[in-house]
Amino acid sequence: MHMGKTDWIKQLQHILDCPIEAATMSAHEWSEIARQDHGAASQSGSPHPPILPGQHAVSDGRLRFVADVSPKGITVFEIDRRALSDKELELIGWTLRLIGSKGDPKAETPISDSEMYARKLGDWIQKQLESDEPAYSLPDHLIAGTRMYHEMIPFLLVTEQNSPKGGAYGELEKLLRSFLSEDILLIPLKSQEWLIWGPASLLRDEEADTYESAEEETVEDSLASIVSALHEMLASEWLGECHLAVAHPAMPAQGIVETTILLRETINLGRKFHVGTNIHLPWMLQLERLLNAIPEAQRAKYLEQSLKRTDLFVESEMLATLETFFALDCNVSETAKKLYIHRNTLLYRLDKLKQETGLDVRQFRDAVLVKIILLLYKVTKRN
Amino acid sequence: MAGVRLEGIYKRYPGSEKASVTDVNLDIKDKEFLVLVGPSGCGKSTTLRMIAGLEEISEGKLYIGDRLVNDVAPKDRDIAMVFQSYALYPHMNVYQNMAFGLKLRKFKKADIDKRVREAAKILDIEHLLDRKPKALSGGQRQRVALGRAIVREPQVFLMDEPLSNLDAKLRGQMRAEISKLTKRLETTTIYVTHDQIEAMTMGDRIVVMKDGFIQQTASPEELYNHPINMFVAGFIGAPSMNFINGQLTEQGGEVRFKASGVDIVVPEGKAATLRSKGYIGKEVILGVRPEDIHEEPVFLEASPNTIVNATVEVAENLGHEMYLYLNGIGTDTVIARVDGRSGLRDGASVKLALDMNKTHMFDKESELNIFEN
Repeated sequence: MHMGKTDWIKQLQHILDCPIEAATMSAHEWSEIARQDHGAASQSGSPHPPILPGQHAVSDGRLRFVADVSPKGITVFEIDRRALSDKELELIGWTLRLIGSKGDPKAETPISDSEMYARKLGDWIQKQLESDEPAYSLPDHLIAGTRMYHEMIPFLLVTEQNSPKGGAYGELEKLLRSFLSEDILLIPLKSQEWLIWGPASLLRDEEADTYESAEEETVEDSLASIVSALHEMLASEWLGECHLAVAHPAMPAQGIVETTILLRETINLGRKFHVGTNIHLPWMLQLERLLNAIPEAQRAKYLEQSLKRTDLFVESEMLATLETFFALDCNVSETAKKLYIHRNTLLYRLDKLKQETGLDVRQFRDAVLVKIILLLYKVTKRN
Repeated sequence: MAGVRLEGIYKRYPGSEKASVTDVNLDIKDKEFLVLVGPSGCGKSTTLRMIAGLEEISEGKLYIGDRLVNDVAPKDRDIAMVFQSYALYPHMNVYQNMAFGLKLRKFKKADIDKRVREAAKILDIEHLLDRKPKALSGGQRQRVALGRAIVREPQVFLMDEPLSNLDAKLRGQMRAEISKLTKRLETTTIYVTHDQIEAMTMGDRIVVMKDGFIQQTASPEELYNHPINMFVAGFIGAPSMNFINGQLTEQGGEVRFKASGVDIVVPEGKAATLRSKGYIGKEVILGVRPEDIHEEPVFLEASPNTIVNATVEVAENLGHEMYLYLNGIGTDTVIARVDGRSGLRDGASVKLALDMNKTHMFDKESELNIFEN
């Protein structure tokens, strides 16, 4: 509310000619009061209906109006119910709703209990990540329910575009609940960064056993297909392009900080070494992790010594050829097919590389070297 | 249903010296099937992703119908995407996969059911509705990905190499099905591929791109018969067009094209154009498609001024036709497509005639088609 609280109370007291008190309570406390007054059936299907200015509830003969909603809590006005007629009650509620909707544009949109809890959790995680001696286990006061002691699948979501002002948490939470269809934990970290914990039951797929399915999937394969699907859904149904990383299932209560560190590093490495990819898997970035640890000066020195010509790698055609070749396990026929070129054309390109650099990627040793050089070149160029 | 209009679209990535997409202007009509084709890195996928809202537009305007959508989120653009990396939702069955987008948009259950079942019928996947993606073949998954897009009844379909993960036979099958489907649904479709056969067989119009620039936008026939430059000429058509470096001379009123092993007469119509543009005495590049090089006696007799002698390096017999890899015409290998019953073998000497009415000539510096510019 942009008008001072005291001004509001004084003016309203004067108009109604009865005492009014202001108080602050948690969203949970308000929800309890509202539930007792209106009954569970009147609430929406969601377990955490939004709290909005203008809502009212009666408890112990006291009428309370929601005047303001913020991350710090719910501001309510308390009036003796008998002091108001039904019309006055309606008018006050209407006025508060109006003020709430035209209020300070920077004011937070109504937040649910789950969001408030998630923000507290996010703040705690951020503190540990910035601390010299982080705590890795969640403190008791931040553990909500037994699910924190069960294995869940952790994802890190980093969006490219700015979230819509207000309500982003609620919107994303609703979307994830629809998609994953179970209890999820959505924790906002930095701006445009979200930690998501999804049910481990996504990895169990008894129904597929009924049919003849493809060869057995590893846990990594399953996680990769889940995160790909999540990415596709978010890109088309939410804000658009985003980066996602996933890790093996872990217990939030004990592994939340460690997992966040791993996922952040995974996305950073993925963005550094593989521009253009949006899904980042930690088990696919082991070489990148190792190379990233090499000091820049040493990287540059190695590149200089290894190559007779570095500008060959600037050519997009050569880069695409090599990346496809390596992605297809150095299979010449498959690479040619994938690139829509004749086999001889591909061989010509590989021969050209050998001529220019002395390295023949058809030989295992040279292929490993070129792979490393490519990665080093990309990250050195970017720096 | 709606058209799509791109006005002066650019895409620049931070830290990059040149734009990935430069000054793209396209007016895609309602119900049109437009194909963006080109080699890797040409900007076709980036252009599609800008239309989808997955990439920000650095400069320019994008309209879907009459609506300017530069700052509109993908979910609000009324488009449906089928991308190469389409990821079906593994924890949902086919029905749920197809219904999900509608469920999010708060469609009524009965409407969702109707749309899903209708789409499943069109795609012949009604019997798969209870299955999970893991239990489907590649072609079946592709159909589900299409189904997910169809149920949305969008204004525009956007497809980025949706067939590239399928084997050749399935790809051919699905190509035909996608073409039939989009015609039946009468939805504007923008399709990206770097397979020029896909482009030629599917598109109402084709946009050929290279290095972020549009080279030419035209119907398949127009691109094939009237390529605007060497890149388009060489990219469209399989086997590719042959290019022979040579020089134009004029002798006794006849314009001749001369190169190593080649001394042929240019037809008067083309000769007049070459004269008027000042190409006589200059070096040019002759472009001739494999099917326009003939070995039949009847053609040789009718075209004595365009005969060349060559040696068959390799003869590839495909049954109904034969590809001859020839030496002696210019300095590079030239490919001719002849009848499979020609009886020619590796090492044979052969006389061939070029159909000069179908040939093209390109400026050596600019690589532009002299007759199309």
